Amino acid sequence: MAFRLARNRALIAPAKSALGAIPRTALFYSTSSKPASSGQPQASEAETHFGFQTVKESLKAGKVAEVFSSVASSYDVMNDAMSFGIHRLWKDHFVRSLNPGRKSGGSPMAILDVAGGTGDIAFRMLDHADKINGDRETTVICADINADMLKEGEKRAQQQGYISTNRISFRVENAETLDSIPDNSVDLYTISFGIRNVTRIPMALKAAHRVLKPGGVFACLEFSKVSPAPLDAIYQQYSFSIIPLMGQLIAGDRDSYQYLVESIKKFPTQQEFAVMIKEAGFMNVGKGYEELTFGVASIWKGVKPLDSK
Amino acid sequence: MISTLRYHSYQHPSPAPPFTPTESSILSAALRHVPSHGFSTTTLSLGARDVGYLDISTNLFPRGVFDLVNYHLVTERLRLSQKVDFSKFEDGTKRLSTPAKIRVLCAERLRANSPLINRWQEALGLMSLAGNIPASVSELAKLSDEMWFLAGDDSHDMNWYTKRATLSGVYASTELFMTQDTSPDFEETWKFLDRRLDDVKSLGSSVSNISSYLDFTAHAFSNVLRSKSVPFF
Repeated sequence: MAFRLARNRALIAPAKSALGAIPRTALFYSTSSKPASSGQPQASEAETHFGFQTVKESLKAGKVAEVFSSVASSYDVMNDAMSFGIHRLWKDHFVRSLNPGRKSGGSPMAILDVAGGTGDIAFRMLDHADKINGDRETTVICADINADMLKEGEKRAQQQGYISTNRISFRVENAETLDSIPDNSVDLYTISFGIRNVTRIPMALKAAHRVLKPGGVFACLEFSKVSPAPLDAIYQQYSFSIIPLMGQLIAGDRDSYQYLVESIKKFPTQQEFAVMIKEAGFMNVGKGYEELTFGVASIWKGVKPLDSK
Repeated sequence: MISTLRYHSYQHPSPAPPFTPTESSILSAALRHVPSHGFSTTTLSLGARDVGYLDISTNLFPRGVFDLVNYHLVTERLRLSQKVDFSKFEDGTKRLSTPAKIRVLCAERLRANSPLINRWQEALGLMSLAGNIPASVSELAKLSDEMWFLAGDDSHDMNWYTKRATLSGVYASTELFMTQDTSPDFEETWKFLDRRLDDVKSLGSSVSNISSYLDFTAHAFSNVLRSKSVPFF
């Protein structure tokens, strides 16, 4: 492997100055056989990005599916390794700040966790509703486009005894359409580290707006841009040189983690995404987002107004 | 930038309204539940339900119950200019002095806390939490600035700062006193307020006495040096 890195470096180094506009790290470590963006865009079909590659929109979902099918089993180990366990703190904070569960005099909540295949967020929601609000009636639907991830979640739900309570269900669902979810039926829509993989993000936001009840909350936990600049430089080094290596050593899959860091880099900034949420018809909460750990991740929240149809 | 302005200015347009219509409707509905449920998440939920929103909609307030406290502080500060009309107290012959105006403004603002006074200690508790202190102190400074502005003070020297600082101190201590006051119509609170304002007056005069004494001594000393032909500028 060391040899392969060295060889890549030798091959690419002379071309570096010519391609100065592309991030240096991307040149060094991109393992894709195709160049970062494949020359002439095809007029016939809209294109999108898959990491630093440009692919046809119809192909992205399949490529993302490959990534997650291949990492499903080692997903949690890798999350712990890459974030030093901090992703658990983020998720805990995310759920605590949302405070799901029935309040006195209120009714149980219907929660939809999109891209929540492994049940990470869903289990936390149920635990919070139970332990903090004493509510054992609130239900969570885990929706994911990837059946392999859902299988992982179902296995865990079985092991940890959530299945028997009938408060959690798993179904394969595309975030852009959410076909089987009726309009105005959900109190809380969450998507945690998932929206970045959606091909057409505005469509996913529209679908979220459709399924939420008026007054319902859209909440998104996702990687974002780090500031200040010196920390960002360290973060970029870490994500482009260490994370793919970890992926190779721990999960035996370098390309999937190469995709991960490239897709993080491609995701809009905190402010841009807050504007997208607003454009989908939500009211931004506060300034629209809350940064966690210097902006490595952020939480965006939006509330669906009463007067929207 | 404009919205962060911490003082009144004729050079800048007034800032945009601090709350969206939805936020205002939920928070003002929630305030009506404070006497029975205190400053709590239950109160927020009840407020949201009253105007047709869901329990989960209270996520609109990232600081939770503190946003409710803050709403009361901001709205009552902005309402002060409408509630106090000095022309009522004044006619052609009689003009109110600035300290008298300050007293009227302080009392008027404190009176706005009276519907919530049984629960106001909870609000003070929330305001004193570490994360909320900057917002609370900034709001107190804005209130103090508002009062001096409405009283017609137009100082633009170091006094500008000391006036605002001392009035903040007077207001905050009287507000705290008021939460313990059980006298009819808060009589004790108004007496307390008068004593604090008198303290400030005597403090102000002793500061000016001391500074004129120091000024005189320094001048006398330099004249002594000059009379002895010691080089002195």
